[in-house]
Amino acid sequence: MSSSGTSAALAAGGRVEVTMPQMGISVSEGTIVEWRKQPGDEVVADEVLCEVSTDKIDVEIPCPASGVLESVLVGEGETVAVGTPIALVLTGESNGEGAGTAGARERAAAGPGAGGSSAAPGPKGTGDRRPTTDDPGELDRSRFYSPVVQRMAAEHGIDLESIAGTGVGGRVRKKDVEAAIAARSAAPAHKTLHTESPYRPEPEAQAPAPSARPALAGERREVMTPMRKAIAEHMVRSRRTAAHVTTVVEVDFSAVRRRRAELRADLERRGVKLTYLAFVARAAVAALQEFPVLNASVDGEELVYHDSVNLGIAVALDDGLVVPVIPRAERLSLEGMAAAIAEVAEKARTGRLVPDDVQGGTFTITNPGQFGAIIATPIINQPQVAILDLEAVVKRPVVVDDAIAIRPMAYLPLSFDHRALDGATAARFLSRIKAILESGDVS
Amino acid sequence: MKPTNGALATEPARVRADKDADAGLPLTRDDRANLLRYMAMMRFAEERGLTLYRQGKVPGSFYDGRGQEAIPVGSAYALGPRDRMCILHRDLGAHFVRGVTPDRYLANYMGRAGGVTGGKDGNMHFGDRRLGCVGMVSMLPDMALVATGMALAFKHRGEPRVALTYFGEGSTANGQWHEAMNFAGVHRLPVVFILENNRFAYSTPNELEFAVDPVERARTYGFPGVAVDGNDVEAVFERTRDAVERARAGGGPTLIECHTMRMHGHGAHDDMSYVPPEMFEEWKGRDPIERYQARLVDDFGFERAEVDAILDEVRAYVAECAERALASPMPAPETAFEGVFAEEWEPLGDGHAPWSRWQAAAAAKEAA
Amino acid sequence: MAEAQLTSDEPAPAVEAQAPATRELTYLEAISEALREEMRRDETVICMGEDIGAFGGAFKVTDGFYEEFGAARVIDTPLAENAIIGTAVGAAIEGLRPVCEMQFADFISCGFDQLVNVAAKLHYRQGIAVPIVVRLPSGGGFSGGPFHSQNPEAWFLQAPGLKVVAPATAADAKGLLISAIRDPNPVCFLEHKGLYRTVRDEVPAGEHAVPLGKARVAREGSELTVIAYGSSVHLALRAAEELGEGIEVIDLRSLCPMDTEAILASVRKTSKVLVAHEATRSCGVGAEVSALIAEHAFEYLDAPVRRLTAPDVPIPFSPPLEQAVLPQLDDMKEACDELLRY
Repeated sequence: MSSSGTSAALAAGGRVEVTMPQMGISVSEGTIVEWRKQPGDEVVADEVLCEVSTDKIDVEIPCPASGVLESVLVGEGETVAVGTPIALVLTGESNGEGAGTAGARERAAAGPGAGGSSAAPGPKGTGDRRPTTDDPGELDRSRFYSPVVQRMAAEHGIDLESIAGTGVGGRVRKKDVEAAIAARSAAPAHKTLHTESPYRPEPEAQAPAPSARPALAGERREVMTPMRKAIAEHMVRSRRTAAHVTTVVEVDFSAVRRRRAELRADLERRGVKLTYLAFVARAAVAALQEFPVLNASVDGEELVYHDSVNLGIAVALDDGLVVPVIPRAERLSLEGMAAAIAEVAEKARTGRLVPDDVQGGTFTITNPGQFGAIIATPIINQPQVAILDLEAVVKRPVVVDDAIAIRPMAYLPLSFDHRALDGATAARFLSRIKAILESGDVS
Repeated sequence: MKPTNGALATEPARVRADKDADAGLPLTRDDRANLLRYMAMMRFAEERGLTLYRQGKVPGSFYDGRGQEAIPVGSAYALGPRDRMCILHRDLGAHFVRGVTPDRYLANYMGRAGGVTGGKDGNMHFGDRRLGCVGMVSMLPDMALVATGMALAFKHRGEPRVALTYFGEGSTANGQWHEAMNFAGVHRLPVVFILENNRFAYSTPNELEFAVDPVERARTYGFPGVAVDGNDVEAVFERTRDAVERARAGGGPTLIECHTMRMHGHGAHDDMSYVPPEMFEEWKGRDPIERYQARLVDDFGFERAEVDAILDEVRAYVAECAERALASPMPAPETAFEGVFAEEWEPLGDGHAPWSRWQAAAAAKEAA
Repeated sequence: MAEAQLTSDEPAPAVEAQAPATRELTYLEAISEALREEMRRDETVICMGEDIGAFGGAFKVTDGFYEEFGAARVIDTPLAENAIIGTAVGAAIEGLRPVCEMQFADFISCGFDQLVNVAAKLHYRQGIAVPIVVRLPSGGGFSGGPFHSQNPEAWFLQAPGLKVVAPATAADAKGLLISAIRDPNPVCFLEHKGLYRTVRDEVPAGEHAVPLGKARVAREGSELTVIAYGSSVHLALRAAEELGEGIEVIDLRSLCPMDTEAILASVRKTSKVLVAHEATRSCGVGAEVSALIAEHAFEYLDAPVRRLTAPDVPIPFSPPLEQAVLPQLDDMKEACDELLRY
């Protein structure tokens, strides 16, 4: 695993700060899924310290230094911005005590607090007779985030650590988050990069989040995994962003089937499994050379054409979907394409993708046909302009030379962004793929 | 053997002489056949209900009024269509007189959609508002106040209408009984209270229920109290008819104490071990239906075969009703959430009034 | 009330399009006016209660009614609460619209059986509508002691089939009573005795029906919502004036049906909530409102939902004891301040 995203800074006195790594250029935050080490545990450099989930990928974070895990600063399930300290590792014996407590003191002092002498609730009023332990004036609350604060921060991508709380005990309250949002919207907006997911927090004034509803009898509720959430966000955003049109051709796979039969045994000896998908990918890459507008992105009012085809292959996982990218796919032969597809699929399924494996796609192929589907209208993987879909190859009666023949047929739907191209171009592109596949001239 | 109130058990306290049975308001031969018909319908329907209960078709518990049939039938028979009733749990015959059919009664016991309450309430806790009835609640004698309130509305508008309700002698110990008697007496309301003294409040005998026979208390509320043999359907009819006409004419309430005996337990779960056997035997000999059959033959010129034919006809009808009740579906669960609040007020409908007097009045009205 | 007069200084509530003329009336006069106007409008409306006839009622709500409407429509009943409510049920079934007065809300316990077992359930069980109103002079603050000071609204809220309203202003007292009389269901009308002569506001003359089940925003704010009804609305308004902060005051007006949308809308706006009532604490309206918010607006909360209520003790007689039990203005200010700072 690449450790490029993990930054470690030597703190004074042999203390190393572990920060949330940058996992891919567009990733701005990560969620701690699990701590594999607990404070007090001995750690060895490069040993896995924790697991982090981002909207792109889940990764294990290796420890940057050997020593003892002094403290964990971000709890499981918490999301923090890239660069935020998440743990401290003590590397020497001579130092250690001071810094941690100083940090705690700092946090305690962060908010103005409300004084410790808030009147004890009387026999009536908002408390009960006993002196309550939750007297808001007495505790450091700078790390307590109320439901509304957490929700707003999530919606607006606000790093709560960066906000000074003005509530009791230094608590970050709703008005503090509102102020942070207001301050940020006054700053210039981020420019969308075309080479990656342009995920940005949604602007406000969308439909309000549905209120938390208790599960009814006969149903079960669970919080979406980070991957599920990321998929959900990407899909909805793509639907809103692109002018989706789906157009379909039907392809006779007889020639491909023959070609595959010729090559199959040979390739299998070399450990490569030759699939229909490899043929389609190869044909698509060839067609993309002739129709560069399909290997492009929309950036504002500009179309960005890409020299290389970075081919995304949608891979279904048990709990979601990832789209690893085969970079510069135009340089691959059929055999190379088959091997590359097998490799990224295997990496995806075994969780070994690194952030850069899912970056920078320029065109995507999805293959639900492997599960028996015969037609679909896929959603474009933003910021690309098209996605090709290989459906199941099934035998159908078709008319060949005015006679009915039984042929292995498949639909190839293409969803494209009508902002970037028109139906005629899409149809011509698809027809080109069809022609290549039906000629069987793929190598 | 437990002590019993021997005097009350054997002799009604003060049965009024028959002299004021108004010749202008008599029972016809058809009426007499009807009285038998409704008593038999109650007996057969309750027998059928108890069978269904023992067959596991009736959830909860089962209550009947065996031995008391003459009281609800004789009293309800005296009412006109626009009069109103709150009927209690030993008074199934009154529901039948007002127009409820046995299939709806049995379906109600079985919690079916076709029951009078559609499954919302069980056993005898029903009343068909379309037939001028307000169903009872379990708290006794709450309906005495409701009937009094209906009478208050009649008096308020000057309508010649009467409200009639029932309660057992056990209820006379409750404060609401006093509240109802007192309120009705203060305002001279057109309400008739039928007190069914069936000797036991569940298992508690008369002598542990009151020191003075409740019928004696009526005059302290400013209206008459009369006692009657509750196993004599015509006597009950006549006392009720008198009280109803008195109330209708503005004379105020009447308390009618009907002496009877509950011949089954409080519910099907009650073995009546507290009832002295000789007391039970004595009342068995006074069965109101047996007695009335004899009277129809001996005094009113009915042929035995005619009487048997009436009973056979009713028995067949009840059997047919039981089949209909069993065919009624269970209510849809979502109906449990409906009807907590009313959208609008609607008046009660009028009840059946099979007495020839009302039938004649209705026919005359129709002719006119 | 030991404190200065409770006066309502918010503007008159919104009324229908052709707003009729308004005049300033006390809460008591407004109740009286509603009753009188409904009795004039609809001859089926009658009053029933103890000492409401020639005497005009213990609080003089029906003063002059006996003379105007006569003994048949202003029924001085025996001292028997089940009789009042039970006969009202019967009369309502037969087409009258009885308005029952409990001399004190506390005495509803003596009529409870007829209310919860007969009146509340008749429509559900048998489809029989029971249009009665039970007027309940409630609340403490004047050494009424344990039997003349209670706020029994939570009892009714556990009896499905009863509607429950509790006006805070004179205008709402009139408008809600008129709606309660016209409603086909049993309605418990809680009128706070402490407001009878201390609250005075603009009341529309003539037709003025305030719908049941609609809350009122008594004061707008963005930092804290105080959800209250009855006397607590006035405490909240005064606290808001004195604290000078962005306190929103929601006057529930109806407790059943409850305007849950109004509650949730305000919570979503301010994210901080104090529920205030004079009734005792456990399983009260405050508990219900708090649970509603927890279930449906959790993600909008920026502070724990707090309650300001009487503690779970009977209302004592002696002034210092009573003041220690009933929420006072200082308690309200402190509770608001605590949440504002949170």
